[in-house]
Amino acid sequence: MVHILGTLLPEKQLVKFALTHFYGVGHLTAARLCARTQIHDRCKIRELTPSQITSLTGFLSSPSTASTLPHFPLATPDYVPPRLSEPIPAAPRRPTTVDASNPEKELPGDKLRGLRIGAELRRDIRDNIAHLRNIGSYVGLRHALGFPVRGQRSRPNAHTARKLNRVVRYA
Amino acid sequence: MPSLATTRCSFRFTVPLSRSRPCLPPIGQTRGYVVRPGDTRKTALKTPQIRNSFKAKHAPASKKKAFATPPYTPMPTNQLTKSIFKTGERVELELPTFSPKVMNDDSVGRVLAFPKAKNEAMRAFGVPESALHDFRILSRPCSVVRDVTISTFNVLDAAGQKSSRDTRLMMTGPTGCGKSYLLLQTVEYAAHSDWIVLYIPRGLSLVDSSRDYAYDLRTQTYLQPEFSAQLLRRFLSVNERLTNMLKTREQVPLQGRSVPAGSRLTALVKAGVDDVNNAPVVLSVLIDELSQQSTHPVLLAVDDMQAMYGYSMYRDPHYRQIMAQHLAIPRMILQYASGKKAFPRGAVIGAAGTQHTAFKMPLELCEALGLPPPRSTGPYAKRSSDIVDFARGLQNLPVSPRMSVSEAASLFEVWMQDNALHTGQVRVDDELRSMPNDELFMTKYAEADGNPRAFVRNGLLATQSTI
Repeated sequence: MVHILGTLLPEKQLVKFALTHFYGVGHLTAARLCARTQIHDRCKIRELTPSQITSLTGFLSSPSTASTLPHFPLATPDYVPPRLSEPIPAAPRRPTTVDASNPEKELPGDKLRGLRIGAELRRDIRDNIAHLRNIGSYVGLRHALGFPVRGQRSRPNAHTARKLNRVVRYA
Repeated sequence: MPSLATTRCSFRFTVPLSRSRPCLPPIGQTRGYVVRPGDTRKTALKTPQIRNSFKAKHAPASKKKAFATPPYTPMPTNQLTKSIFKTGERVELELPTFSPKVMNDDSVGRVLAFPKAKNEAMRAFGVPESALHDFRILSRPCSVVRDVTISTFNVLDAAGQKSSRDTRLMMTGPTGCGKSYLLLQTVEYAAHSDWIVLYIPRGLSLVDSSRDYAYDLRTQTYLQPEFSAQLLRRFLSVNERLTNMLKTREQVPLQGRSVPAGSRLTALVKAGVDDVNNAPVVLSVLIDELSQQSTHPVLLAVDDMQAMYGYSMYRDPHYRQIMAQHLAIPRMILQYASGKKAFPRGAVIGAAGTQHTAFKMPLELCEALGLPPPRSTGPYAKRSSDIVDFARGLQNLPVSPRMSVSEAASLFEVWMQDNALHTGQVRVDDELRSMPNDELFMTKYAEADGNPRAFVRNGLLATQSTI
């Protein structure tokens, strides 16, 4: 059994499914997390190396402060690698032309840095609902009354809304 | 209990207990109708006394009866004459052994069994899933020699004297026509003809994201350490005798150690097997060393080779699909298949797989082999220049979609002798026996239109559903 950020991940489960145990991580985000840390599709939790666990933990603990991904140049058909005894040349910089009219485009792998999971995500949801209530919006009012928010019928049904909807939700 | 103790002692001296003897079933009879000596109970079990009840007060004292014979004695095996009791018998097929010496035009239509040596190529490298399915059912792995088999062997014999750049073949044909079996026969033929053989029976496992991968800045590709180590281990078990004669030309620096120049190739391969992190480097150095020697011809055989020409299921850190040419081992295969690198003596042979729909033959490969495109395309269809470059010079080796009647008949006889057919029943001596006849054979051959897989799977093995 592997613990990552206080969440127990079953060791026989595939990593791409086990990561969905985190609040805020679904199948798509889990697949992107696996790609970012170069974990293949059929990898199980018990097959993870310590370095992979460390990189996953380091990223999930604070995605916003994670470093941007380096450029991974790919070999052309005629590329000849340097000999084993020669030093490896430094990776070339990402080939982009950045100026005022063409700002640097964020690559898909770096968009994960805006990921919010666990307690941070719950806090964001609470803050959003509290903001809607503070500005006196209809949605905030419905949260406060414990009624459905998105225009559903309230005369029959609406039991889930009556049970769960409140201003301080996910506290 | 003194009476029980004496009974047990007498029992021990008259009939020795054989609890330490392993209970192995006799050969030819796997059902439980066997009398194992020393395993019969001579005395009845002691029944527990019922206390504090009416029955206990008035229950008569139970007498311990020693049975002359146990109440249920299994029948002696010599009385089990019905054929239903002999279904557990597994008689291995007696077939001539596959060998390069018996391969000539007279062998066409004969079924030959693969050898059972410990370092056999198909045992070490594995077999494709379609062949594994058949070999698990058959009592002995075997295959039928077809006319295309002999012609392929002739091509291989000629390739042994020239560069692999001149012999780069791709076996093609409709699904189930026998491409994987033909490639397996080619690998066995080469291994028994003193070739150095590197065989990948399931090329899809290289590109379906089932093994670990890691980016390497030196080669600018994604390495596959676990697969490289497994491939080295299998290569060593098959080719150890031949690689022992070859030596490295230069020193090879590895993580934590280095292999000095002049070492045997076997030592280099073992260095890669011992440490998974060194396996990718060792594999690439090994292939380079083999491409510089001309002592032994080298065969690089890959099944599902069409999967190397396209996108894999791996994703880079930006979640973009990685092309197979940017994975280390597929790139090595593409370089030798395209002629960019070559063995001084040898061949590169691949077989196109048709089972996995995510890895179909791409348009560029179809055009290079002269095959009709997978769908209607024109000059405006997008073609990858890299894939066109890697597919250039590959020759098509078509495998006939239909077996000949004599080849199918040999296959039919093999399955019949292995008791795989359960139809054509005839009543003999008050019991039904399966007696396949020519009519059954021609029926199944016509239903399958001579396609080998359809003939065996949907024709012969499907007869079992009539039980």
